[in-house]
Amino acid sequence: MPGLIKRKNTGELTYRWQVEAGDHIHALRWSPDGGMLAVAPASGPTVVAAGATGAVMHQLPGHGFGTLSIAWGPDSSVLASSGQDGIIRIWDSATGAQRCALEGGAAWVEHVVFAPDKPLLASAAGRQLKVWDSAGHLVRAYPPHPSAITDVQWRPPQPSDSNTTPVLATSAYGGVRLWNTEQPEPLQRYEWKGSTLVIAWSPDARHIATGDQDSTVHFWIMATGQDLQMWGYPTKVRELSWDPLARYLATGGGKDITIWDTGGKGPEGTRPLQLRTHEEFVSAVAYQHHGPLLASASTDGRVLLWHPGRQPRRPLAEYRYDEEVVALAWSPDDRLLATGTENGLVRVFETPPPG
Amino acid sequence: MTTEVNDPRVPVTVLTGFLGSGKTTLLNRILTENHGKRIAVIENEFGEVGVDQELVIGAEEEIFEMNNGCICCTVRGDLIRVLGTLMKRRDRFDYILIETTGLADPGPVAQTFFVDDEMQSLLRLDGIVTLVDAKHIWQHIDDAKEAKEQIAFADVLLLNKVDLVPPSEVDRLHAHVEAMNRNAKVYRTENAQVNLGEILDIGGFNLDRALDVDPAFMEPEYPFEWGAVFELDAGEHELTLAAGPDATMNLVVLPLDEASRAGLDAKLMDAVLTFSDVERAVNPGEALHIGRDRLNQLTLEPRPLSFTLTIEQPGAYGIFTEHTKSEYSPVLRVPAGTLTPVYEHAFKPDHEHDKEVTSVGITLDGALDEKKLNAWLGVVLRTKGTDIFRMKGILNLKGSDSRFVFQGVHMLFDGRPDRPWGTERPHNSLIFIGRNLDRTALTEGFRLCLA
Repeated sequence: MPGLIKRKNTGELTYRWQVEAGDHIHALRWSPDGGMLAVAPASGPTVVAAGATGAVMHQLPGHGFGTLSIAWGPDSSVLASSGQDGIIRIWDSATGAQRCALEGGAAWVEHVVFAPDKPLLASAAGRQLKVWDSAGHLVRAYPPHPSAITDVQWRPPQPSDSNTTPVLATSAYGGVRLWNTEQPEPLQRYEWKGSTLVIAWSPDARHIATGDQDSTVHFWIMATGQDLQMWGYPTKVRELSWDPLARYLATGGGKDITIWDTGGKGPEGTRPLQLRTHEEFVSAVAYQHHGPLLASASTDGRVLLWHPGRQPRRPLAEYRYDEEVVALAWSPDDRLLATGTENGLVRVFETPPPG
Repeated sequence: MTTEVNDPRVPVTVLTGFLGSGKTTLLNRILTENHGKRIAVIENEFGEVGVDQELVIGAEEEIFEMNNGCICCTVRGDLIRVLGTLMKRRDRFDYILIETTGLADPGPVAQTFFVDDEMQSLLRLDGIVTLVDAKHIWQHIDDAKEAKEQIAFADVLLLNKVDLVPPSEVDRLHAHVEAMNRNAKVYRTENAQVNLGEILDIGGFNLDRALDVDPAFMEPEYPFEWGAVFELDAGEHELTLAAGPDATMNLVVLPLDEASRAGLDAKLMDAVLTFSDVERAVNPGEALHIGRDRLNQLTLEPRPLSFTLTIEQPGAYGIFTEHTKSEYSPVLRVPAGTLTPVYEHAFKPDHEHDKEVTSVGITLDGALDEKKLNAWLGVVLRTKGTDIFRMKGILNLKGSDSRFVFQGVHMLFDGRPDRPWGTERPHNSLIFIGRNLDRTALTEGFRLCLA
């Protein structure tokens, strides 16, 4: 089999730097310019570290009882955080100073997400969805959702988009809704009689994949509203990642990584690819932004690196922690992989050169 | 007990009760008492508790169905989210209390801990504690289904504010709730004052302790209050009764295999089934029917109340009467004199029954056929799952020398092989708590599962 990777055994990943954030890592977010990594531990302050060295640049005071979500502004100049104090804080990433504090609308602000190409920040607190500008002015507060919002994701901008207002998707019990900032009513509803937990837009914005409490994954075809349902997961599904070409969706929801192919007739009626190596539940999956590699993390303590398109289907490289790995994030240039654990250890790995 | 000690999961207690029953008082007591535990309280969004703000987390009661509209699989989405986030912290809580709104059905809260993997791996439902306002509960018990559900689901029932009602009223309430839920421990409290050891870490949902709560709860309720064993010769006998308040009284006579307590006990189930049969009126002076499926309904007038009992086969016989011995002073005579029973037993009198919610306890000797049991339980849960709130059992499965323990909420249940029987006599004990339960059908269905 020519072209097969020469490596006989799985390689060992080595980390370039590490930071101890002290508590369960809720989120790891690289700044869009790649210069900084923001780390949100479950309690305690958000840590902003230099991307290249791990030198701690800022410790942004936490949200009373705990931080729940963080997001970078598209130009990396601001970082938003939200938490269990009902507040959204916007920080200046150069100085670490707080620019403003905003009321999320309920006791827990569970999500803050910046639009990828516009200075618009969406926040979700309980059933309340709000959109702000990066100076903290309220752009729109929407009528309450029928139940708590479980995820918020902006539509990835497309080259063909001409001056359209940004669209965002929210999930809750009952499926997915699309919104823009022009009107208070949803633009579109994708209804499912179940509790949708996470949303992943395909990079080409043709699909929204969801992971659900009832152990299903759905592919919503945006143009037609068709719902393709994938059953058979052992647990609820909260781990989703699209490959950069918008063809493959990697999912967790158990000990296996399941990869669906939306090319051709798929994914309906096709057999997914299953990667079986983790000994415990998969806690995160992440495709590179541009490259072909997939990273996975598990409560078994392992971080694995895969090239799912190639035989044999075994990890290219791995790293083993002594504790559960709970978060993964690729740097914007795909050269660094940040990983976070249940006890707050963050290690950043160098990616092996593509081969 | 050992799993308790080794179980790293954080215990969760659910606190229910109607508005004004004293939940807030109890919560404040729990939070301020010096117990050394770090407790998190999850309450509905606009709760009344004003203690240390950090410990109280708001949650909206988001109830949803897991599968295709089956209400037996409703869960609380807010709890999955809030508890999931809470359990990620390193400085974890030692204990979690979930306070429900007055009108909440405890079912979805309990089921959340059975259906979600994350919840199951991190938390263990310890028990459901229901506060009952001794003064005002009667206003709700018949027209608010939630009041009954809260009582029926409970592991612990606190009859609170007993100082505001006369003791006889408390006795009546106590008997009433006990008949509804034989699984629960009932305490009478003033101002919700109870030893915290009675409500926290009680292992109400612990399989090991599934049926160790109170041995009396497994004692089934019988439709008769007196049973007596006689050694009878062939010939005519006369049964006389004293006058009493009722117009009729049911009575069953069954041949026994031996004239002893064991002989009587062996026929208890036959007696129960016979008591559910069609009544045959017997007037004073007439002869009593003997045997299974022969339920005598004695007409208690005109006096004197004398009935004949004709024995063809000499041997041991059991007589079961609907009312206690003291009420009617039954006496069995032959021409030579009065007969003394070889053994007699006063069965637990029927409580004042709730019209809808009851407990059905079944005990049965012998080994069960696992296939038959699964098939039967499957049908029962599919057809009656909505009405069955709680279910617990210790079973003797054929081919196994260990106990099999299980318990469930509505259609969801959890079971596993337990310790070997050892010196304990293998037997089957099962309890259902629910609405409109058909005792006879459940008893008979369970019997048919014997191998």
